[in-house]
Amino acid sequence: MMPTSPERNRMRFLLVLFSCTLISLACVVYPIYVIRPFRAQGANELATALLLARFRSVLTMLSALAALASLLGWYWPAQPRKLPRLFASLATAFVCLLAFVARVNVYELMFHPIGQPSFLRAQQAKIDPDDKVIAVSINGEAHAYPIRTMGYHHVVNDVVGSRAIVATY
Amino acid sequence: MWTREIDGLRLTFHLAGINNQNFLMRDEETGSYWQQITGLAVSGPLKGRQLTLVPSDELNFATWKSEQPQGSVLKDLSRYASEYERKDWDVQMKRVPVVISFPEHGMKARDLMLGIRAFGASRAFLYDQVLKEKLVQDHVGAEPVLLVVGDDNQSVRVFRDRIPGVDGAADFYRLSPPKPGALLMDASTGSEWNFQGCAVSGKAKGTCLERVQALKDYWFDWRNYNPQTTVWGKK
Repeated sequence: MMPTSPERNRMRFLLVLFSCTLISLACVVYPIYVIRPFRAQGANELATALLLARFRSVLTMLSALAALASLLGWYWPAQPRKLPRLFASLATAFVCLLAFVARVNVYELMFHPIGQPSFLRAQQAKIDPDDKVIAVSINGEAHAYPIRTMGYHHVVNDVVGSRAIVATY
Repeated sequence: MWTREIDGLRLTFHLAGINNQNFLMRDEETGSYWQQITGLAVSGPLKGRQLTLVPSDELNFATWKSEQPQGSVLKDLSRYASEYERKDWDVQMKRVPVVISFPEHGMKARDLMLGIRAFGASRAFLYDQVLKEKLVQDHVGAEPVLLVVGDDNQSVRVFRDRIPGVDGAADFYRLSPPKPGALLMDASTGSEWNFQGCAVSGKAKGTCLERVQALKDYWFDWRNYNPQTTVWGKK
């Protein structure tokens, strides 16, 4: 059987690299492009963006692995010259980087989550009397969420009166 | 405010995006995406599931503290406190552009409304007008409702205008001057009522009016999710 030519393997790598870059970019960029503030979202594009967002960790990981495998399996043995090897490696590294970026929640970077919430007794809380709070009372337990705090964190996972709730603003 | 248990599974939510300026959240247990204002899952394994609304009030801190002296207040995360909203955040917010708008009823996109979806209907009350009138007696669908402004001239509560034993809607009046612990009087039973909607004197003493959940929201957002809404207080 004839061995596959180096040129053919280089072409295979380029094809895989191109496809993987496109897929990974789509996974990372499209959801951020659609779901951003000060932009109206249509129902269909939102559904597509969310579908991509849900699977982008897996997709970008597979994409990175495919790019890496074809770099090492096809391109490296077929291309002895240093400079093309460098470019190919950088391009593959970019696809791998996208796999990390895909895991970043940019919204929580902008608005840090509060994690496990802590509370102060009403008499100890340093809130101005005319500042607004969202108030919840369940099974005799009362929690107040200052709006100035909620306007930043947006989401707080809490338990009030043994009921698990999410405070949103 | 929503419960975060579905079929016995407790969900942990994360901020995950924005949809026409109302935010999206994602639960880490299933990776489903939920719309903040509707509590409905719009994508993922739990798509179509609905969180249960938790009744809540928007009150001045002083008013809340007087009602719940044993209550607990969410603590700031001090390392992010510099990024929290300024005191005049609501004035600043009014200037922020919108991406969708509904100019019907003569409303402006960032007009503040008290939105009520109950009794098979949606109705939005112009917040500033409610504050001016201090007591509004109106209907949502066929049900009579009362919008009551607290002593702080900022907090508003909504009640169903049904007193047990009284036929139809009762006529309410603001006590002027207000007494400590009583804001209103009704003409049907001659009882005095406090800001929690409970009668503190008179024939109805000890009974409480049913609370109705209202959402304080900008017109454009309320109208986007309540296309059939009617409006009270339009100019």
